[in-house]
Amino acid sequence: MANKSVWSDNRFWRRSATWVTGFASVLLIWLTFDTSAQIAMGNDQDLKDGVVKRVPGPTVINYKISYEMSSKRGHEVPVIGGNDGEGNSLFQEKEKFFGRDDWSEEEAGKLLHLGKLASQAKNCMDCHTLLGNGAYYAPDLTKAWLDPAWGPDGAMQALTGKETKEEAMAEFLQHPDQFATHARMMPDLGITKEEAIGLVAFLKHMSSIDTNGFPRNFGRMQGAVNGK
Amino acid sequence: MANNHLTSESKQLATWYFTFAAILFGAQLLFGLVAAIQYVMPGFLYGILDFSIARILHINALVVWMVFAMFGAVYWLLPDETGIETIGIKIGKLLFWIFAAAIVVVVLVYLFIQVGPADETTIWFITEGREYIEAPRWADWGIVVVALGFVANLFLTGIKGRQTGIVTVLMADMIAFAGLYLAGMFFTDNISIDQYWWWWVIHLWVEATWEVYVGAIAAYGLITMIGAHRKVVEMWLWIEVAMLFGSGILGLGHHYFWIGTPEYWWEIGALFSALEPLPLVAMFIHVLYDWGKTQGAEMANEHTDEDNVKSVINNKPAFTWFVLNAFGNFLGAGIWGFFHTLPQVNLYTHGTQFTSAHGHLAFFGAYATILIGMMYIAVQGTNGIKVMKHTKASIWAVSMITGGVVGMTVALTIAGYVQVLVSRAQMGATWAAYFDGQSGLWFTQAMDWRLVMGVVTFTGFIFLAKDLLTTGKNPVHER
Amino acid sequence: MFEPFTDVVPSFFGWLNQGPLTLTLFLHTVIILPMIWIYFQEKKRLEEEN
Repeated sequence: MANKSVWSDNRFWRRSATWVTGFASVLLIWLTFDTSAQIAMGNDQDLKDGVVKRVPGPTVINYKISYEMSSKRGHEVPVIGGNDGEGNSLFQEKEKFFGRDDWSEEEAGKLLHLGKLASQAKNCMDCHTLLGNGAYYAPDLTKAWLDPAWGPDGAMQALTGKETKEEAMAEFLQHPDQFATHARMMPDLGITKEEAIGLVAFLKHMSSIDTNGFPRNFGRMQGAVNGK
Repeated sequence: MANNHLTSESKQLATWYFTFAAILFGAQLLFGLVAAIQYVMPGFLYGILDFSIARILHINALVVWMVFAMFGAVYWLLPDETGIETIGIKIGKLLFWIFAAAIVVVVLVYLFIQVGPADETTIWFITEGREYIEAPRWADWGIVVVALGFVANLFLTGIKGRQTGIVTVLMADMIAFAGLYLAGMFFTDNISIDQYWWWWVIHLWVEATWEVYVGAIAAYGLITMIGAHRKVVEMWLWIEVAMLFGSGILGLGHHYFWIGTPEYWWEIGALFSALEPLPLVAMFIHVLYDWGKTQGAEMANEHTDEDNVKSVINNKPAFTWFVLNAFGNFLGAGIWGFFHTLPQVNLYTHGTQFTSAHGHLAFFGAYATILIGMMYIAVQGTNGIKVMKHTKASIWAVSMITGGVVGMTVALTIAGYVQVLVSRAQMGATWAAYFDGQSGLWFTQAMDWRLVMGVVTFTGFIFLAKDLLTTGKNPVHER
Repeated sequence: MFEPFTDVVPSFFGWLNQGPLTLTLFLHTVIILPMIWIYFQEKKRLEEEN
């Protein structure tokens, strides 16, 4: 061939492909180690010491959780046990969960384990989204624990005839077809009382995960104005 | 099969894989229709076959038919590329039956048992409840065994026979494809870790290894259908590997924006993966341009003395699907993907119908098209056809399936906009916000159109099935 | 132009991620730069073959 350009040479591209693939894989593995350490679950001592974890330990269910703007991060973050005014967690204010705010690490861990198993055994992710991933047939559950609908001013406590958020949620999960809020109803999935409590613990824990500000403005705006 | 023109056992096995894949493709569309009807009429099959189950079947059938067709395509091209019969074909045949039987059992359990109690037995025997890879753990191990057997067939044959660039790429790609599945086979209480590794399977399959696989198949197709120069095709194949793996592997970052992972993934995910589908289109354009200038013109001239100018493409329906693949991949994976890959946009579009629109066009454009093309190549080979032409049914199939999928994509994109603007931006993503968006007029109308377009797609599938079954005996083809 | 570190836990990648696209530009560069070396090596080989 007269003009042999490197750009049309197979060997050049083959070697480039090998290099690029290999190096990108090495980078990904490095990033995976870095990220895995950052998203490993915290423990009870971290919460007591006020150590901020991206994924707090299961005993976070003993604390009050909210979702507020952090002036440092520039977006909303989960605030655990009270806000210092800048969007940093104080890890002090407790909140009763099924009547108790002293769930031990072991008890809370068991609840979370049961809840996570139930979330998979009932195929939650094939209608809902968890952390935004799943199907789009039903609402996102990332911050469901903080949804005003379940709070003291929301409709769900009255609808289920329960006095607290967690009891209302557990009641709904056991008989979703009795408390429809939309023509698109959640079916009865045979969720037992224990499983429902586990699921609510799982949801409360999930709302404490630092999702870098997703979803934006959660629960901050209410009442459809031009929504329809 | 009677009066079969196939002398290669590997190719016969390929036809088995294609047949089962086509059946699952039909099942995928059928359960997709059920789910689409439920968006319009929520009471449809409520409590019998709920949306979650219809959707599991819809997306699992999708993944599995594609894997079947992918295995089939490899068994089909191996004898051509390596020049020898596939090694260990008996085991390959046995694994086919194991795989098919396992799929049938998994589907029956999905359909009739659906959910289980919250313990490990459910994870092992009913469902793992993780989107796309719901298959219970026992089936996971079955899939690993089958995939390893397939990879062994490929490697033994590739090492012994002629090692072309296509075979080399396939060997490297398929071992990664099989190995990555292992990342999705464990249980953890930590949902962030769970989703971190879950994406290793989903993303590194469909946005890395599957894409490279498609590049190899497109290269094979161009060589067999129009006699393109291997050197040009394989050069583009290597460019494609470089760009796809170079951008696709770290492109995994666009799934790590909001699942609890650190903020640095924003930047990694935003810009990697943007360049993925370009090289496939480039390959097509370069190859067709070169070929048209030299070989194509010569071949056409040879025939001008006859009454009618003969085609120089030896399989028109397959070639149509391959061309659709090049552009469908670019549009569905590239454009629709890039729409929402920037974190500033994705903050609002993540987990909306927007993703669903992208998913429909990307899976169709990038994978369904080329695999259907390979099925036509198999029909051509099985029936000893020299030049395969379009029939009425094949044209209806191509038009209706493509039109239907594009229609669904447009409808879902509009639905996605409503969801993003109303439920997310305006209302702040709560339960009430979600249903406000879902009951908006634009949203419900979009869902009506999606259903209509789904029916169009399914009708197209019926034409496709009819054509694949009958076109082999059609006298219009040159033998 | 360069902003203070804001993420939860400091790390090498977090440290690189403090300016306008600094992290992604860095990663793209380290992936692509060695291709220049491969290019000149292959060019030399092609010239020798001629």
